Amino acid sequence: MTLVAILVPMVALCVVARGVGFLLPAGVVTALAMLVDGLAPVQEVGAMLALLFAALPPFFLTRYQHDATHERTGAAVPFFALALMVLLLLACNHAGSTVFPAGLCTMVAGLVAVVCRQSMVWQWAGLLTCIEGVLLSAVLGHQPVVLGVAALAGAVVLLLGGMCIHRIMPRVVPVRAAGQRGRRTEQPGGGAGA
Amino acid sequence: MSAGMEATVFLAALAFVWPFIGALVVAALPAPHSREVAIWMAAIGCGLAVVVFMFPSVGNGASGWDDDPVQRAGRVMLAFGLLLLVLENGIQPDRLLRSLPHVCTALAGLACVAPQPAVGLGILELALAWGVFVFTRPAGQAKTGWGLIRTGSVGTVLVLSGLLLPQGSTVSGLMMACGLVILTGLAPFGQFWRDENDSFLFLPFAGASILLAMRLRGHGGAAFEMALVAAGLISVWLTAAAGRAGDRQRLFRTFPSALALMAVGVEADVAALLFLCGWCLAGGNRSGRGWAINVLACFPPGAPFVGCLLLLSVMTDWAWPVAVLTVCGILAAVLRAVPDREAARLFWPDDMAGRVACSVLTVMGFLVPLAMMLGAF
Repeated sequence: MTLVAILVPMVALCVVARGVGFLLPAGVVTALAMLVDGLAPVQEVGAMLALLFAALPPFFLTRYQHDATHERTGAAVPFFALALMVLLLLACNHAGSTVFPAGLCTMVAGLVAVVCRQSMVWQWAGLLTCIEGVLLSAVLGHQPVVLGVAALAGAVVLLLGGMCIHRIMPRVVPVRAAGQRGRRTEQPGGGAGA
Repeated sequence: MSAGMEATVFLAALAFVWPFIGALVVAALPAPHSREVAIWMAAIGCGLAVVVFMFPSVGNGASGWDDDPVQRAGRVMLAFGLLLLVLENGIQPDRLLRSLPHVCTALAGLACVAPQPAVGLGILELALAWGVFVFTRPAGQAKTGWGLIRTGSVGTVLVLSGLLLPQGSTVSGLMMACGLVILTGLAPFGQFWRDENDSFLFLPFAGASILLAMRLRGHGGAAFEMALVAAGLISVWLTAAAGRAGDRQRLFRTFPSALALMAVGVEADVAALLFLCGWCLAGGNRSGRGWAINVLACFPPGAPFVGCLLLLSVMTDWAWPVAVLTVCGILAAVLRAVPDREAARLFWPDDMAGRVACSVLTVMGFLVPLAMMLGAF
């Protein structure tokens, strides 16, 4: 258990409280927490995937206008996530596990963001936080199969979420030459519903 | 390795690949001919699944293919579900849409036979992504698609994190049960059903989730089983107690999957198989038809009725108060939620799809207990 592993759920709580802006720090901290343990191939792949899933969405969202969905949810949501984390810790302690379940706490925070927030970008960030948490606990638990499945789920969420955002949200610059930023590969068939 | 064993392995492989071939053929043909070809491909797929069930590929050359007979029989049900989906839908002009049930059934079958349940979950996630991509392509569907992806991914993530926790712990069992309930789309918990095309994806998807639940039981432990039974019981009782008639009928659609999850929870795999048969052949958005209501409400003769008897006989050993609650819940749900009594009285339906479904369900209702008595399961 390291300091970085404790930082990961805290940054995930920031995602719940403030939104997609904290996704990149969450990814960086997750990658660090994976790499602190050692430099086996599983850890390197996991860190790379965590960075990828955290870095692409903010970069992609710079092309779109700010999501102006009015949030009706109050300020209590991060505390709800915190309470769930504490419950999870207690349950793990009760089961006799001494390891701090950093990845699962991150996953719980992401789940709360998905369930309690209404804006689609926020839900996307929450779902990707969930994936980061599963990636982290798969790497720390040395389970490459689960790591692969979580990477697949992350790719699905990233691609289809990006596609839906492309179809729903207004662009910053309406006309732009395709292929300049290299991110056009993310939304095959997009733009039909915009 | 003898020739017979090679033949069984070849047949098993062909049964997995066949729906993909069917999807390619159906997508490649022009629209007017596609329906007959699709019916033929699905029917041959059913035949292949039955043959694979009868002649399993066991032995050292086939490790990784062989699994228990309940899973093989479950894939037979998935194949018949595909046949019925194709039979009752008209000609679809869109190529990807008309190949979607074949692709989803193929991926669901692969997910059930994956060497580890986690891999099966990944394949199911792929099926979900492809299905949502296909049927939310029309304009104005992006929000719906995002809702489906969100719900399905939450279920997958929950089951994955349950698999990461130590085997048999309470948290792990609860997480996996929650995830599976969401993946199955059990009525008050997972809200998958919106559009007509949804059933192309979610009938095989939910069926494969039920089959995966049987394999996850080894990892989940007692908490997993209790949570599944509780979720099924809540769903049944909510169906019975919902205030408005519309709510009741919406909840009633997932009645067989609720009972199937309860059967998985009490380790009555054969009963779960019979409910799965009812789900694949009568579940989803068919609840407007008389024969489907008959099947959903577990009226005899039919697979769900026999499944109910099996489930209750196992459940009385498990915990008799729960069995009493279940009987009361089923009776109340059937009494209150069956929408149209006149339509439900009609046994032999007029259309082709209904006749196929009724005969398959009746035959399964007789054959599966017979096979269980003969020791096939």
